[in-house]
Amino acid sequence: MEFQKRNNRTLLTNCFQQPPLKASRELYLSNKEKATVYIMESSGGMVAGDCNEFDVHLMKDANVCLRQQSATKVYPSLNELSCVQHFSVKLDERARLEWTPEVIIPFEHARFSGNTNIQMKQESTLLWGEIIAPGREKRNECFHYDDFRSSFQIWLEEECLAYDTLHLSPAMMPLQQMGLLENSLYIGSLWFVSPVVQEVNLKDIHEQLQESEQLKASVTSLEGKGVHIRWLGSDLWLMKKEINKLGKKFIDLQK
Amino acid sequence: MSGQKEDSNNRLNTGGISTDQQLLHLFQIHDSAFPIGSYTQSFGMETYIQQNMIKTKQDLIEYCKSYLYYNLACGDGILIKESYKAAENEDFDKLAKLEQICNGMKLAKESRDGSIKMGKQFLQTVLPLSESKLVNEWKNKFDNKVIKGHYPVLYGIYTASLDVHVEQAVLTFLYASVNGLIQNAVRAVPLGQNNGVQAMYELLSPIEEASHIVENSTLDDLHNNALGIEMASMQHEYLFSRLFIS
Repeated sequence: MEFQKRNNRTLLTNCFQQPPLKASRELYLSNKEKATVYIMESSGGMVAGDCNEFDVHLMKDANVCLRQQSATKVYPSLNELSCVQHFSVKLDERARLEWTPEVIIPFEHARFSGNTNIQMKQESTLLWGEIIAPGREKRNECFHYDDFRSSFQIWLEEECLAYDTLHLSPAMMPLQQMGLLENSLYIGSLWFVSPVVQEVNLKDIHEQLQESEQLKASVTSLEGKGVHIRWLGSDLWLMKKEINKLGKKFIDLQK
Repeated sequence: MSGQKEDSNNRLNTGGISTDQQLLHLFQIHDSAFPIGSYTQSFGMETYIQQNMIKTKQDLIEYCKSYLYYNLACGDGILIKESYKAAENEDFDKLAKLEQICNGMKLAKESRDGSIKMGKQFLQTVLPLSESKLVNEWKNKFDNKVIKGHYPVLYGIYTASLDVHVEQAVLTFLYASVNGLIQNAVRAVPLGQNNGVQAMYELLSPIEEASHIVENSTLDDLHNNALGIEMASMQHEYLFSRLFIS
């Protein structure tokens, strides 16, 4: 997908898609400048051996909000193959991208390998959220998946601001041990990289994050150019609410 | 005579020193008296101590195992091994990339700063001992702000220049990192020296195992599952009273 800004409006100028993936047309919710595009996965979930590739390029000044239609469901792998998801994002000068989180749910015996690589130019803005579920919690299917790998990288020009990688194999490691996930089920992450990041008061955010008794959360600065917040907890809806609330706060800083 | 004098002034003119001396020097750079400030870093452990989660020797052992297997062995350990190899091949591009990855992996600000601080102090301390072209070039890059000077990458470069085995370099690094935490816990919990010695003794076998994990890993295996420790490391910045700087 390629986005360009023309006449104060962000347009999806190029879109190549193959089933089961489909992108919606641009929607303009609050203003014409920001295009909202839904990414749909028409098959209902990933089965072993699937490979979903997303290539997103925002040309200079483009302003885009990408949304998923539903959670990413990863079905059991009966043939030892992983489901692979590649996300490659390129943000040109002053481009802005928001990706708000839907949950990744690895089912029993699922194998997943996700790779997200974000290349940013100076003065571009990224807001990216993600939640990893332990499985279908309400079916008592927690940490029954075989293998979950995720690699998430943010490069601002030549500088690596974040290289966040997980490799969870519940049967092979004591995830509940002190220092790992302990008693948490869900892992939430929010990343905000922007020229306005200096206006974020980290201490205030830290204090706000400590108010919740159900969720553990903490915030850190990424070289003064970005902010990263991580949540660990067992209340998915509360986590989602908190991530969206802070995400909105960050986006509002730019107005 | 003048040649002899030069040699005696530069004891680590590695061309002439024996394997035993190289090994002794490896011990030396991990000595708690070696001035890189490891006694000031807890890398998040102090948050756990203040939350009363590390109270006994067994708690400390469990914590150290999490840090060893799910942070060090799949993070710094691999970065050291890869830096060592890149240094042997004089591959500066690879070393610069490893520096960036190391920077990106340490998400908590204080751990990131701690790694840079230790690297900076290590560089200053070993520079008068080393004739290695690579170590000197790395210092130039550091002075010119081309690199940040993360400790694991620098340690890989320096141990490659010493000609010690890469396995020994990784093994002693893991030992020293865990030992540093234990010594700090002995003071901060407090636990008493005997508990510290016993905890370290129990961790020798896990450290050996972790070093084998590093041996069989590549850059593709880099990860950090110790999310609790990482979170504690982020929260450390906001603790009311602190003994350690990370």
